[in-house]
Amino acid sequence: MDNCREYLENLCAYVDNEADDSICKEIEKHLADCPDCRVMVDTLRKTVKLCREGREEPLPGELKARMEAILEQKWKEKFGEDGEDA
Amino acid sequence: MNEKELILAARGGDRDAFNELISNYTDRIYRLAWKLSGNQEDAEDIFQETFLKAVDNIDSFRLESTFGTWLYSIAMNVMRTCFAKRKRMQLGPIEDFLPDHANGVNSKLLDWGDPHDLFENAQLREMIDSFLSRMSPENSTPFVLRYMEDMSVKDVAEVMGLSVPAVKSRILRTRFALREYLSEKFREKKNG
Repeated sequence: MDNCREYLENLCAYVDNEADDSICKEIEKHLADCPDCRVMVDTLRKTVKLCREGREEPLPGELKARMEAILEQKWKEKFGEDGEDA
Repeated sequence: MNEKELILAARGGDRDAFNELISNYTDRIYRLAWKLSGNQEDAEDIFQETFLKAVDNIDSFRLESTFGTWLYSIAMNVMRTCFAKRKRMQLGPIEDFLPDHANGVNSKLLDWGDPHDLFENAQLREMIDSFLSRMSPENSTPFVLRYMEDMSVKDVAEVMGLSVPAVKSRILRTRFALREYLSEKFREKKNG
């Protein structure tokens, strides 16, 4: 129970399924005996899963149109009307 | 044209090439700005300023990174300026987030089960957004880039000008902190 800290460095890689096999085996051996760390690993995984779910803020069409107009002007200031450096 | 050819053309003043380069990133930069700022007004300012700076600097882009990494780096600098005056929640060391039993106390962490049994998707999303927007951007940004923009740790390090170990550490701390924050919300809900 007192060696949870030893796994800390590799925990993120483990919960993302990116840890080496040998490290996975060590962590899993620990998890078999440590209910809290099992919950920790499970909830860390769910944390990212929840972040990837749900709504995304769409880019408002009006903002996109406004940005395109501003960039058009900026581009002309920088490169001139025909694409040459101003 | 491939990306390199597009960049070279844009550097020479080809507006269409520039438009093609940014077309894959407009939604992503806006989404990132929204997640990290937590409000539409700042997200719009960051979005606009990022692309204006990209135009300003396109002719000095030296092809030492991908266009995407370069653009995200600009967005990061814009956000640093935008957030400079805000007070944000700081995180303690990773050890603070370990189960208490690491300190000799036999704690019982809350087993979440299925969070969707406790909250609707929109509520979960709101909680996560709220947490991230109150965090220090130094910690929230690597987490958002890694897990919500699906960027590799190496690319996050390049965008933020940090070492890979530093990025890993920040991602882990934010992940632990968010886990703890959500656990608290779930515990409150379960206890009525």
